[in-house]
Amino acid sequence: MSGEILLETREVSKRFGNFVALKSASIAVTAGKVIGFVGSNGAGKSTLIKVITGAHAPSSGSVHVRGKEVHKADPALMRALGVACIYQHSSLVATLSVIENVFLGREMRGRLGLVSHKAQRVQLQEIMDDFGIHVDPDVLVSTLTPVKQKEVEILKALVANADVILMDEPTAWLSLSEVSNLHTTIRKLTAANKGVVYISHVLDEVFQICDDITILRDGTMAWTGPEADIDRPKLVNLMVGEALGEASRAAVTSERRPRGTGTVKLATDKLSKQGVFHDVTFEVNAGEILCFAGLIGSRRSEVVKCLFGDDKPTSGTIISKGGVKTFGSPAEAIANGICLVPEDRHTEGLCLSHTTFENTVIPSLVEVTNRGVLMRKDMDAMCTRQITSLNILPPDPAKVVGQMSGGNQQKVLLGKWIEKDPEVLILDEPTVGVDVGAKAEIYAIIRKLRDEGAAVIVVSSDLEEVMTIADRILVFSNGEITTEFDAGEVTNDLLIHAIGGGESA
Amino acid sequence: MISKIAARVPNGGLIAFFVVMTLFFCFFARNFATATNVENILVGYSFIAIVALGQMFPIMARGIDLSIGSILALAGMVVFDAILIFELPGWIAIILAIAAATLAGTLNGLFIVILSLQPFVATLATLAGYRGLVYAISGRQLYPELATTPLRDPSLAWFNEYYDVGAWFGLDAFITTPWIPASFLVLLVVMVFLYVLLAKTPYGTALKATGGNKEAARLAGLRVRMIEVSAYAMSGFLAGIAAVLLVARLTTSTEALGIGMELTAIAAAVIGGTRLLGGQGNVLGPVLGAFFLGVVLIGLTLMGISQFVQQMLTGAILLAAVGYDAIRRGAGQ
Amino acid sequence: MTEDTKSDESRRHFLKSMALGSAVMGASAVAPGLPLTKTSGAAKADGHAKQKMAFIQWQPHTVPNAWSKGIEEVLNAQEIFDYQLLDGQNKVEVQVSLMDTLINDGASVIFLQPIDSVALAPSIASAKRRGISVITLNIDATEEHAAHVEMNHYFGAKEIARVMGEKMGGTGEVAIMNAPPGIIIRDQRTNGFVEGMAEYHPGISIVADVNAEWSRQKAQDALNTVLASNPNVTGVYGVNDSMALGAVDVAKQKGILDQMTIFGNDGERDALESIEAGELTGTQYTDVYQQGRFAASAATVMATGGISARDFQSQGTLLMPYIIATAENVGGIQEAQRW
Repeated sequence: MSGEILLETREVSKRFGNFVALKSASIAVTAGKVIGFVGSNGAGKSTLIKVITGAHAPSSGSVHVRGKEVHKADPALMRALGVACIYQHSSLVATLSVIENVFLGREMRGRLGLVSHKAQRVQLQEIMDDFGIHVDPDVLVSTLTPVKQKEVEILKALVANADVILMDEPTAWLSLSEVSNLHTTIRKLTAANKGVVYISHVLDEVFQICDDITILRDGTMAWTGPEADIDRPKLVNLMVGEALGEASRAAVTSERRPRGTGTVKLATDKLSKQGVFHDVTFEVNAGEILCFAGLIGSRRSEVVKCLFGDDKPTSGTIISKGGVKTFGSPAEAIANGICLVPEDRHTEGLCLSHTTFENTVIPSLVEVTNRGVLMRKDMDAMCTRQITSLNILPPDPAKVVGQMSGGNQQKVLLGKWIEKDPEVLILDEPTVGVDVGAKAEIYAIIRKLRDEGAAVIVVSSDLEEVMTIADRILVFSNGEITTEFDAGEVTNDLLIHAIGGGESA
Repeated sequence: MISKIAARVPNGGLIAFFVVMTLFFCFFARNFATATNVENILVGYSFIAIVALGQMFPIMARGIDLSIGSILALAGMVVFDAILIFELPGWIAIILAIAAATLAGTLNGLFIVILSLQPFVATLATLAGYRGLVYAISGRQLYPELATTPLRDPSLAWFNEYYDVGAWFGLDAFITTPWIPASFLVLLVVMVFLYVLLAKTPYGTALKATGGNKEAARLAGLRVRMIEVSAYAMSGFLAGIAAVLLVARLTTSTEALGIGMELTAIAAAVIGGTRLLGGQGNVLGPVLGAFFLGVVLIGLTLMGISQFVQQMLTGAILLAAVGYDAIRRGAGQ
Repeated sequence: MTEDTKSDESRRHFLKSMALGSAVMGASAVAPGLPLTKTSGAAKADGHAKQKMAFIQWQPHTVPNAWSKGIEEVLNAQEIFDYQLLDGQNKVEVQVSLMDTLINDGASVIFLQPIDSVALAPSIASAKRRGISVITLNIDATEEHAAHVEMNHYFGAKEIARVMGEKMGGTGEVAIMNAPPGIIIRDQRTNGFVEGMAEYHPGISIVADVNAEWSRQKAQDALNTVLASNPNVTGVYGVNDSMALGAVDVAKQKGILDQMTIFGNDGERDALESIEAGELTGTQYTDVYQQGRFAASAATVMATGGISARDFQSQGTLLMPYIIATAENVGGIQEAQRW
């Protein structure tokens, strides 16, 4: 029944020693509705999710499913009661097929206790038809696009008879059109009287999809109510506090400097890679932020890899420091003052099991070496400098990076390149999975680098981000530059139209 | 103050366990707390500690070197052939042996990097390959009478000397101090060298980064392929040094030398807190791990515990070490 | 010519060992009753500790297990010895380390099955300096020590060749399933066989000598390969019983068992049963329990008779008696003698 309360927490608090992670949180997930949780990292969202999924026992308060109190915190029990969670990072097994993943751990048994593939297939097909989700059951998950993988996770939840589906940052790796596909799927879930919890840093999405919104800040519920009762500035203020809210708005309206100082730092001429991208011609100047906008899959990252010497173009040239260059390796690009902050900080950017200190010094080993011996003092200074200037939290050089929040990880990643004092800094999706507060800080850092004379290239699929920081925008589609805008003269709609070729407008 | 020092010592738990175990044997194992026994442990496990230190390098680069036992035999046979067949002076034989071992290690690295083989598979192949080479070059096969001829070269024999270090400091006036074997002195030199290499040069950080996240290290401009090869070269190099110590102690080399050594070395490294997931490691850990294995084996032997129980206990200690590490890291999350 | 000197030397050794052997036999028979054992020795003087003896084996295997049992029988009967079986883990360095440990612990006698003759020599030398007797089993060491008790590898293999040749009627082709090189007993068992064939049955040719790594499975593969290239092979000699039994498996599977003459070496229980079943033709049988008892008896004499290791100016060697077990005589080997 629509309107039935499927799951609620009543006055739930969670303490870890003296630290209060969550204070008196009461939320209700209603059948047929989407409730959004918003808040900065550390606001208590993860703790709340963990209480709901049974990973943490609340220190006080209670959790109720369909009105009945659940006395034990047990993930398996909560799953059995119909609560499923889809995490930001895929929990699918990439080497198994879709159907194997969907039924993993809950295989349907036939005679002799053997897996009945036929029955599984029939049930999966029924569910796919009911919800209008269509995935080939036999392909390997690793071959699917990110949005299809999310759909597989949703299917997995549905097969497990989940009524309450939590989605933690579901769109972190999705492009604009994929986000809208996902939202369509969520609408189908609510139409079937499922309750959905939607957790996202992207406020546009929250306003688009959610019926109710709960704002968490410092472990307390700052506000909760219907989406229609709150507007964006109020939400940001409630979420990050007045001061940061101001800063984040100021960032949007700051001065634009297309073409910066006019000194070309890096340029390409008809750069092409057979079958990937072709005739990419552009230049980036000192003191400007050039954004590569486009859909995911428009081959921007591939172009950037060639600029950084991580891949080789098949034709065309790269001009750096006044000459034509071919970079055989990242090391050569770095020697020419070009640095890349890669897209996926987990697999390409950071050594997660290492500390802030170690991660920071890795690209700059040469600078801190004197006659073959590392200068501990210089390294300490370098690390402290970045922690202070980037406001990395916790400010502990010995903190293991894997245990830090996404925003702070990203700052560590930025810091290690800033130490190289790059002439050209390329950032690939710099704020994926980063909360609003940290985003504003990262934008401020990028601007500061620009003001100090660096040429900055930002690859971003986040429209808000492009509109916020770009001085100039190049729109990519299918490996080609289709349009160029000066940031001051472009509107949201114009840009969406250019990116999507009309489809998402 | 004390907690600050403790925080800087990465192997605190292991050191405590080591001390407890040693004290236990001092009280309960007859003749354990004697100067001679200390000498026995030092001389019997110094070379294993060196092999374990070598094994640490590939593990830090998120790999493994299964071929070190065969490399050790190869280096041993080079010493044997050089002295007995070619009648070269011992110091030349030693240099040749260490060079051969380093080359064998480098080849491992090249196979892994150039052919993109998994380290486990590549070194499993060379484990067999190098062992075959040992048989092929064995002076014992070519000249059977050499099989019963001991190596008596003076520069080789130096590695089997003992020094009364206690007397240098006048300690022997108070207690019977163990004489320190040359092989332990070699181990100390190796430890200092590796400490400087890992903690004080860019190479150490680069190696840890390569093991921690190879992709990130490469994109940070590090030459990860070279670094990977170097890790295997180091493993070979140290196996070569260990081979010299062992051959000096045995006064011969055999074709079967070092069989199963890779497992002992991996065990020592793991007990010493080297994570098999790569990216971490320090000089003290594998050395403590190796001597720990020695203390346990000798202590239990002196207590008269049966050999099968000894093996079970060694396995249990290995599990405990790995489990302790996992629990400690779990608590840190 | 070398032939002559070798057999001369062997004969001399053999005589010496006979002497030692009879001394041992006498001692072991009498020793338990001697008042000497109850009153003398460091054991009593210490007041608490028994004398310690230990056997450092190569690695766990039927042969050292049987030795250990034989040793225990003799030592346990006397109640003044602590005996311990130690595992060399097939590693020279482990054996050396165990030697050092036992020396430090003041063992009175160490039984040793050395992995290598030279590598253990320094350890044996340092044991001697501390007055500890070392008795080696099967594999001798280059350092002179108290005693060496050995299966008669060379002469036994020679005898195998003689009997095998007779069974084959003096003609035919033979393949050897061999162990990996580098071990003395492998060479003795091979050389004895090869030289025996040349001496007694010049009409028989040895056409293949392949490495089957002591293993039954490896021997199966190896013999299949040999038969493919040498279809006329009718005789197989396994340097140990496992490899000979591997050859039996192949012959049975190919249905040619009745045309084959297959000999092993060692005389372990499985081999004797196979002979009784009419499959394996024969093997060299040594009573290894007895070998252990001989070693232990010698040790008892040394530990209780006031004889120090340093008193041994030259080493005694005891070669074990053996029989070539075939269908005709295998029934004579008692259950208690099988291992």
